[in-house]
Amino acid sequence: VLHVTRPLHTTQQRLAPLPPLPEKGGEVRHGLIPEEFFQFLYPKTGVTGPYMLGTGLLLYLLSKEIYVINHETVAAACILSVIIYGIKKYGADVAAFADKLNEEKMAKALAVKTEAIKGLETAIEEEKKEQWRVEGRKYLFDAKRNNIAMLLETNYRERLLTVYNEVKKRLDYQVAMQNLKRQKEQDYMIQWVEKNVIQSITPQQQKESIAKCILDLKALSKTAQAAV
Amino acid sequence: MAGRRAAIKAIDWAAFAERVPPNQRAMFNALKTRSDALSARLAALPEKPPTIDWAHYKAAVAKSGMVDEFQKKFSALKVPEPVDTQTAKIDAQEQEAAKSTAEYVQASKARIAQYEQQLQKLKSMIPFEQMTFEDLNEAFPETKLDKEKYPYWPHKPIADL
Repeated sequence: VLHVTRPLHTTQQRLAPLPPLPEKGGEVRHGLIPEEFFQFLYPKTGVTGPYMLGTGLLLYLLSKEIYVINHETVAAACILSVIIYGIKKYGADVAAFADKLNEEKMAKALAVKTEAIKGLETAIEEEKKEQWRVEGRKYLFDAKRNNIAMLLETNYRERLLTVYNEVKKRLDYQVAMQNLKRQKEQDYMIQWVEKNVIQSITPQQQKESIAKCILDLKALSKTAQAAV
Repeated sequence: MAGRRAAIKAIDWAAFAERVPPNQRAMFNALKTRSDALSARLAALPEKPPTIDWAHYKAAVAKSGMVDEFQKKFSALKVPEPVDTQTAKIDAQEQEAAKSTAEYVQASKARIAQYEQQLQKLKSMIPFEQMTFEDLNEAFPETKLDKEKYPYWPHKPIADL
């Protein structure tokens, strides 16, 4: 990715917030030379230009002995080849591992953030619900007033009923008393009449009535036959 | 007898029950049972007591004038209605409740505003992938490492690592 167009502080107005840093670094060829150099030389010298330049420079340095080949050259060659081999073989794996570590950190942070957001939203919901609940207080007071009204009404009706019952009891008592008295008088009179009648039966009348009964019995016994 | 009965409003117990928070459910149940008991008692009593048959008693009771006297006194009798002492208190309670409710709702709204603010801050944060440590410390001040208290790396007690 060429970054020639990355606009950093090119205008009077500083861009804030800054655009995020790019994910990957600028492209390089052969691990050393930035791509921009090749693009820079391309209009004038084409594709092979930079390579020609490089070869020429190298030959110049060697032939003029500006760079002297000695034992350190060999050492450098060996070390560099080992390093390049190592990077080429294991570079991708190490990069993936490092990326995974970073991903885990990011994921943890993100989880914390989403938890916080969810918690806040539920808190808001709860508060709204509590407000709705509180609006129901009029039911409570209506219920209380109803209870009071019911109590009063019940009391009043009970009082009416008590009055009625008491008056009725008294009247019934009077009627019952009268009935009882009359009955007692009747019984006593009947008893008195019977007593007097029995008293008035003289011994003479008794003998006569017994004789008449015996005559009657004899007459009856003649006519009636005992059924066997 | 016009103002005798303070109108008994029909209460929607189902809607009432919905609004009761779970920690006050026992009180609500007690209130409901009490109300139900009262209304049962009320329903059991007749609205007017049965009328006394004066003609029958006039014929039956021998003592003259007694029944007439009773009848006169009975119809002249006014049963006093029970005095309502509690409704005023209930109304006072209602006013108080209205006031405390208003306060509670106010506080609740303030809390909601706070929560909304924090929510806004969290939602408008830049994604973690683009943050530097400075940005992180701005967004979550608790992640800032205290370099005065712990001047040597890792700038926090080892146990917190």
